[in-house]
Parts: sequence; structure tokens; C-alpha cells
Amino acid sequence: MITRVTQATIFRQLQSNITDLQRQILDAQNEVSSQKKLNQPSDDPAGAALVNNLNGETSQLNAYQSGVTFGTAVLGSEDGALSQATNIMTRAKEIATEQANGTTSAANRQSASEEVAQLEQEMLSLGNTTIAGRYVFGGLASGSAPFASLTDPGFNASTAYSGPSQPFSIQIATNQTIRLTTPGDQVFGSSIVALDNLRQTLAAGNDPTANIDQLNTAAQDISNELSSVGARANTLSDRGSQITSRLTDVQQQSSSVEDADMAQSISLLVQLENALQATLASGQTLNTSILDLVQL
Amino acid sequence: MALFPSLSIGADALIAQQRALDVTGNNIANVNTPGYSRQTAVLSAIQPATGNIGGGVLATSVQQAIDPFLEARRLSVASDLAGANTQSGILDQVQSLFPVQGTNIASAMQDFFASASALANSPQDIPTRTDLLSKAGAVATQFNQTSSDIATLQRQTDGQIQQAAKDANTQLATIAKLNAAISAAQVSGTSPNDLLDQRRVALGTLAGILNIQVVQHDNGMVDVTSSSGQALVLGTQASTLATSLDPSNIGLDGNALSQIGVLTAGGSLVKLSGNVGGSVGALLNLRDTSLPATSGQLDQLANTFRDAVNTVQTDPAGEDLNGAVGTPFFSGTGAAGLTLALTDPRTIAAARSSNLGDNTGALALAQVANTTFPALGGATLNDYFGTLQGQVGSAASAADSEATVQQNLSSNLEAQRDSVSGVNLEEEFTNLVQFQRGYQAAADLISVSNQMLDDLLSLVS
Repeated sequence: MITRVTQATIFRQLQSNITDLQRQILDAQNEVSSQKKLNQPSDDPAGAALVNNLNGETSQLNAYQSGVTFGTAVLGSEDGALSQATNIMTRAKEIATEQANGTTSAANRQSASEEVAQLEQEMLSLGNTTIAGRYVFGGLASGSAPFASLTDPGFNASTAYSGPSQPFSIQIATNQTIRLTTPGDQVFGSSIVALDNLRQTLAAGNDPTANIDQLNTAAQDISNELSSVGARANTLSDRGSQITSRLTDVQQQSSSVEDADMAQSISLLVQLENALQATLASGQTLNTSILDLVQL
Repeated sequence: MALFPSLSIGADALIAQQRALDVTGNNIANVNTPGYSRQTAVLSAIQPATGNIGGGVLATSVQQAIDPFLEARRLSVASDLAGANTQSGILDQVQSLFPVQGTNIASAMQDFFASASALANSPQDIPTRTDLLSKAGAVATQFNQTSSDIATLQRQTDGQIQQAAKDANTQLATIAKLNAAISAAQVSGTSPNDLLDQRRVALGTLAGILNIQVVQHDNGMVDVTSSSGQALVLGTQASTLATSLDPSNIGLDGNALSQIGVLTAGGSLVKLSGNVGGSVGALLNLRDTSLPATSGQLDQLANTFRDAVNTVQTDPAGEDLNGAVGTPFFSGTGAAGLTLALTDPRTIAAARSSNLGDNTGALALAQVANTTFPALGGATLNDYFGTLQGQVGSAASAADSEATVQQNLSSNLEAQRDSVSGVNLEEEFTNLVQFQRGYQAAADLISVSNQMLDDLLSLVS
């Protein structure tokens, strides 16, 4: 307890109160103008570390999100190609069934073989489907086409695929990858061989009855892949919504640590400014002196 | 016995009240002088030579209002306050190297791994590869910049230590000179009050630079030693503090740092030892402990990042766009040395086979972001930075609180000192009135005595 107060004490105290208030006002103004309560690590050390971790997660989620978008586009393009391939196989089976009739002439079969050749070429082209210049059934590689063309010299249906033998996968979560592609030979290989066989059978004017089973088996490969693509597209879409909702959570969590509560910040600022005014005004009262009262 | 004692009593009283008035005036004049201690004229009654009637008043001496215990406390708090302020100021600069908002090392690494993820989507794409290289360059730049900023801070603290030695020498010389003057004044019987005030101010300034212990002697001199007992001032002899480069203490910038100590007569340096305290103590602690520790953690992070990325890039199964096994992504050691070694975007080994469009190398690179490292205490790269950021923030926040505590302690002590030694104008004005009245009364006494003498003389004539 200080019993004897001097002018120096009062002025020093006044000065220190004003300095202290001004410093708090500066902090409060920073908070209001930056709209952040976390402006440097010392404002909330644990919060700073948390925000850093959340920033890391956000950056990664955004990367996964672009993977999901990219993967959805790739699978969409595969889905389109596979649907067309299914149609081609259906048409080929129709032709085979028509021509399997014992009464059909050899000339008739030879002309049908030309349509089959066209179907076969279409199937090969579907195998070369691209997205942004990258072959979706060729391991998403750019460069030379994975499937040969029917018009290539020395074309051989069983070796028509020359693309990568490995699937293309991407990361969509810390511990989850998803396969975007299947090597083209595993999807279209059997169909191309089946179509090629049908074309040759018909061109030779023979009965294609034996080819129908082969076509059916081959069509199964395509429809299997179609459902697999659908399933993977669903996984991606689910993961996409998960990422979006997690991003919202992270954003909220981060905001609760680093964003200022504006109502609170502004009222604090006003409060501090009032305190400063009052303190400055209190300095005025120090003008009273015993000199005013005592006549020397 | 004087013929007419009242006359001489009146004359003595005039002189005594005059002295008291002078002392009061001096107090008023020095109301704003830093370190000034209020003085009081000591008035005492003169013993009667014979009989019962007193001999009047005498102003025997002028005393200072001082609490020696309080003065000793002020010295120790001055050391702590200066130390805490220095600590807080520099740690505040350190934490600004780890910003919460905007670009820092962690955000650069996050961008790098996000770019590696983009490469995993399009492994053959040259613009994506170029982007990864530029993000890698940004990581190296962030590490280099932060590390060099810490090294610069360390060099600045070293400069401040050198400056502190010079500042301390000025105060040591002042104290020794004042010791001589005070002792001489005491021998000649005068009160060296103002010199004592000046010496207290010098001791306070010195205590801010380093922790000191003060021993008072009867001859008025003080001896000053460092907290570990090294003599700084002995009577009229002031030691000299000096700095010299210490080849055994190499700074973060690769150059030797200074050592501070007392110069011996032979010109050699006896290093300040023990708890140096004050701003020098804080500077030594920051320079030799805090800053190297933070820098070491950054180096650890940089080396772990470099090794993890290089391991993926130089995987023997890996292949770049030219069909070759990858060469290291980064070279150099520590945060200061980390350098991007790749220049050609085609040389990033994004594949793990000869298959065109293979992205498994890029996938592995992006996964480094999720890898935990024993060298980082089982944390990921990003989390390790977050922890480091938190540590730097807590250190700054703790230092700031400590500085506030010391500031409050110091204000409190100043108020207490004012309470004992400060000048209160109201009090002085009251004293002024009191002594003025005393002076008037003494003058009246002389006038009355004079009147009585006149009366007596007129009887005789």
C-alpha cells in the first residue's frame, strides 16, 4: 500500500495507463481491420498449430477434389464409349443370327461381312477414345494410339492392342486410391477377336452359327466393364460429397480459431476508446493545486 | 551568556528557517529530475550553555529520504525488466518468420504436394511438371529465407551484446568517478546528496545491462560485482567490459560470435560467467540457445523433406520422360542449403515403369505429405511445422507476459520509491508556508528584542 503519493507517481501512472490502452486499441483495431483474431502465432499458439494442420488438410482435400473431378470426366468418357461398344456387339449378334440361317447365300454373307468390318473398325476406334489427347483405354497415356487400325498392314486382331499393360489409379483419400482405367485389351480384346472372326467367317461365305457364342462371351466383358465403371463413378461421386462436406467442416473449424467475432471486436474497440477518453479527461483534474487555495 | 539571548536566538532562527526554505525550494526545483531524492533540512534545538532556557535552533544537516532496501530491489527488478523486454522483442521478431496468414514454409510444402497430386493426374503433362518444379523452388526459397532471417537475428543480438559492453563501460566509469567525489565530500563534511542520486541512476542503468551486486562502504563508496562475483567497480577503480570473437562459438551464418567479459590488467578477457542477467543475459540466451534451437528444428525439417522427396524421385524402378532413373530433386544440407537440383521438367520421375502415362511415381511423391517421420518425432512434415510454429508462438507469448509482469513490478516499485523519495508539491508548498511563517516569527522576535533594547537604552539615557 502506497501511503504517500507524489505528482510524479500520478503522471507516471497516467502515462502508463494511456500507453497500455493505446496498445490494446492497436490490437483491437488490427483485429477489426484484418477480421482475424489470430494474426501471429503468439495470439494463440495452440490455435496457430491447429490452423496450420487444417490448412494442410484443406490443401490435400482440394488436391483430392481435383482428382475426383478429373476421374469423373475420365469414367464418363469410358461409360460413353462402352455404351456404344455394347450397341456394336448387339448389332454384330443380330447380323450373325440373320446370317446363321442355312438358306442365306454366300454373296449375301460376303456383303454382310462389310458391315461387320465397319463395326470392327468402330470398335477399334472406341478403344482409342481420348480425353484431352489421352487414351482412356490406354492407361491415360498420350502419344501413339493403343489400338491398331483394321487398315494397317499385317493387322492381327489378337495383337491389336499395344498400349500400357497397367491400370491408371489416382489417390482420392490418404489411404484410398481408385482405378480409373482398365488396359484396353482386357476390355475390347475379346470383342475385336470375335468381330474379326465373324468378319472372316462371313467373307468366306460360311455359316456364322459358331461365332454367336463367342460374340456373347465377348459382349459380357464389355458389360462387366460398364458396370465396373458405373460402380467406380459412384465411389467418386460419394467421395466428392464427402470431400465437400469435410472442407466445410475444416473451414468452420479454422474460422472459429482464426476469425474475429466482429460484434465482440467492435464493441471492445469502442469500450477501449471510451476508457482512453476517460483516462485523458482524468488528466485534466490534476490541474488543482494547493497554490489555488493558499495565498503565500 | 549573551547579553540579550533573544536577539541571537532570533538571528539563528532566521538562518535555520532560511536553510529549510532553501531545501524546500531545491525540492520544488527538482520535482521532475529523474532519480532525485527528496531532501529535508534537519533542525535541532541548541542545548542551553547554562540554566534552563534553550539556545535556539540550528539547521544541522540536509538528509535524503531513502529506503536502502527498496533501492536494492529496484536494481534487481531493473535487470529482470530489461532482460524480459529484450527477450520479448526478439522472440516477437522470430515468430513473425512463422506467419499464421499468408505464405510460410508449410504453405509452400502444401503447394508442392498439391502440385505432385496434379502431376499424378497428368503425369506426361509438361506444364504440370513445370509447375511442380516452380513449387519445389518456392519450398527451397522459403526454407532459405527463414533460415537466413534467423541467422540475421542472431548476428543482430551479437551486435547488441557488443554495444551493451560499451554502454556498461560508460556507467562503470561514472560510478567510479562518483565514488571518488562522494568519498571526498564526506571527508570534507558536506552532504553529497545529489552525487548519491546520480550514482543511484548510474547503478540502475548498469543493472539494466547486466545483473549486479552492490556493496556499500562506510567511506561512502560502493563496490559493484557481477552476479557471479566478478569485480566491476572497486572503489575508484572501474573495470572494462570488452568483447572479442570466440572461435569456438560459430554463428548460424558461419562466422564466429562474440564473447563478453572483463578485461584484466594483462589485456586478456575473463568471460562473464553464471547468470549474467539484464539485457546482456537475455541476448546471450537468445543468441546461444533459443535461436540455434529454432534453426536446428528448421534444418531437421528441411533435411527430412529433402530426403523423403529424393527417395521417391531416385527410386531405382522410377523413370522420367526420357526413360532414365530420376536424379535427386533437392541438394544441399539444412534449411539454409536446400537447393532445387532439377531444372528440366522432363526429368521428374513420375513413372515407375516404362509404360507411357504411368503415374505411380507421382502418386508416391504426393503421399510424402501423409508420411510420418521418426526424425520428426512421428509427425508429418506439415504437422512438424505447425508444432514449431506453436512453440515459437508460446515462447513469444510467455516472454510478452513476463515483460508485462516485470513492467508492473517495476511501476509498483517506482511508485513505492516515489512514496518514500519523491517530491510532493503540495507537501513542499505547505512546508514553504510553514518555514515562511517561522521566518516571519523569527524576524518579529528580532524586532521585539530590538524594541526592548531600545526601551532599556532610553531608560539609561
